[in-house]
Amino acid sequence: MTDLAATTTNASMTGKTADHVKLKVRDLHFYYRDFHALDAICMDIPAHKVTAIIGPSGCGKSTLLRIFNRIYALYPGLRAEGRVELDGCNVLDPGYSMNHLRTRVGMVFQKPVPFPMTIYENVAYGIRHHRKLKRGDLDACVEQSLRGAALWDEVKDKLGKSALDLSGGQQQRLCIARTIALKPDVLLLDEPTSALDPIATGHIEQLVEELKRDFTIVMVTHNMQQAARVSDQTAFMYMGTLVEYDATATLFTRPSQKRTEDYITGRFG
Amino acid sequence: MSVASRLYARRRIINIAAMILSGVATVIGLLFLAWILWVTLENGIQALNPKLFTRITAYGADGGLANAIIGSIGMDVLALLICAPIGVLAGAWLAEYASTSRFGHAIRFVNDILLSAPSIVLGLLVYMIVVRPMSDLTHGAVSFSGLAGAIALALIGLPVIVRTTDEMLRLIPGTLREAALSLGIPQWKLTVQILMRAAMSGILTGIALGLARLAGETAPLLFTAFGNIFMTFSPLSKTASVPQVIYEYTGDPSPQMHAIAWAGALLIIVFVFALSLLSRLFLSRKKVSHD
Repeated sequence: MTDLAATTTNASMTGKTADHVKLKVRDLHFYYRDFHALDAICMDIPAHKVTAIIGPSGCGKSTLLRIFNRIYALYPGLRAEGRVELDGCNVLDPGYSMNHLRTRVGMVFQKPVPFPMTIYENVAYGIRHHRKLKRGDLDACVEQSLRGAALWDEVKDKLGKSALDLSGGQQQRLCIARTIALKPDVLLLDEPTSALDPIATGHIEQLVEELKRDFTIVMVTHNMQQAARVSDQTAFMYMGTLVEYDATATLFTRPSQKRTEDYITGRFG
Repeated sequence: MSVASRLYARRRIINIAAMILSGVATVIGLLFLAWILWVTLENGIQALNPKLFTRITAYGADGGLANAIIGSIGMDVLALLICAPIGVLAGAWLAEYASTSRFGHAIRFVNDILLSAPSIVLGLLVYMIVVRPMSDLTHGAVSFSGLAGAIALALIGLPVIVRTTDEMLRLIPGTLREAALSLGIPQWKLTVQILMRAAMSGILTGIALGLARLAGETAPLLFTAFGNIFMTFSPLSKTASVPQVIYEYTGDPSPQMHAIAWAGALLIIVFVFALSLLSRLFLSRKKVSHD
């Protein structure tokens, strides 16, 4: 453990290189009232990489993701202990501004949840809250975000239409556009394709590949093939513990833990 | 006969019995409703004539309901202006800020009591806290008033609006809240600009239902607006209303007065019916769904 901490400290000194650690999780515990849901999680999430978290239902992978932007704080009785450092600052510190955290760590959910507004407003809404922009600049920002989410060509002629009329896959890309419009550092994806058909899933996976140039991506997925296809690093969780965390190629071909091997070969889960 | 088919036959008999019982119950309920509507329609239509809208109640049996109609519209609108904003904000507070707190539960409980409080009690309350003090303050120049009537009616509509707003907001899936909060949007903006917009049709329905409820009330007006046989447009004078005139005319021996009361009843029923249709329309407009 001390070795790992030492190497990551060195890595974080090197700045925004491939080895720069964006999120550093140390001895993280999580409680749903009396239930101990996460037990001593330690992991380093590298910048500009896709990190996938896999594991059977109820293993705590979504819980872990929801700590990174403290969205769990919405519900009473939930408690996180330990450290989650974003570029060296502990985001679990009560003094760390929640709104600031959430502009730096964006989140896309399992089901697409467009706001009950137009397509344009869906993207502009968040921007407008955080920055005062002139109309032209705002338009440019919205276009850039929609292009970033590979949605622009499909919606550029109907920006004034309700976002609720889009297909599920388009809605999910709109949610991604809305999130990247705030130019966050980290993008959290919580099973972003589980409610989508295979073609829409393909679009999102391709998008994730492109997005990692600009963002650090942490993705929870139920689908092991998806993790193998799109991620650089994969973490396997089981019953609230982090069992194994390694480069995706290594984890899927030469897992060091018996439980990881059993899971990826389909013996349980 | 095999066990399976015996069980099947038994289930079919129970099914038919349940269908007949619930069908009969529905018919009994609807029968009385249709009866009331029919009698009102039959008697009301016979009494409908232009004088109803042009003459005031001062003419008695030879008069109309003009001042009562204006009084009702004025007080209903005023009541709605009072109770709709308060009701929507209170409902939003219950659903978004106090949904799990003990205090929120207590307020919700009290609101439910208010929802079923006898309306005459609310009328008496307004008499004590508005009519009497106003009279004392102005040395009797202003006592019973349209304003006091509107306040009493607002108390009738308020709990309906609080309840529906609260329930409509709580129907919105939590994921929408999480999505907005994870963009760093503060709670108040989320509530006012996103959740209320998502629940807009439901909230409008609540307001329409509240209006329908308060528009038919007589009891709260007796000690507050009192009634007036002349036309008035001042909210500080005694004001007539359709339900109150119906109440008085039905106690009168004159058959002409009864006819006018029937016509008034028809007007109210048509109004409430139109409001119900309107609220149906709001609800059937494209719903916000996240499933």
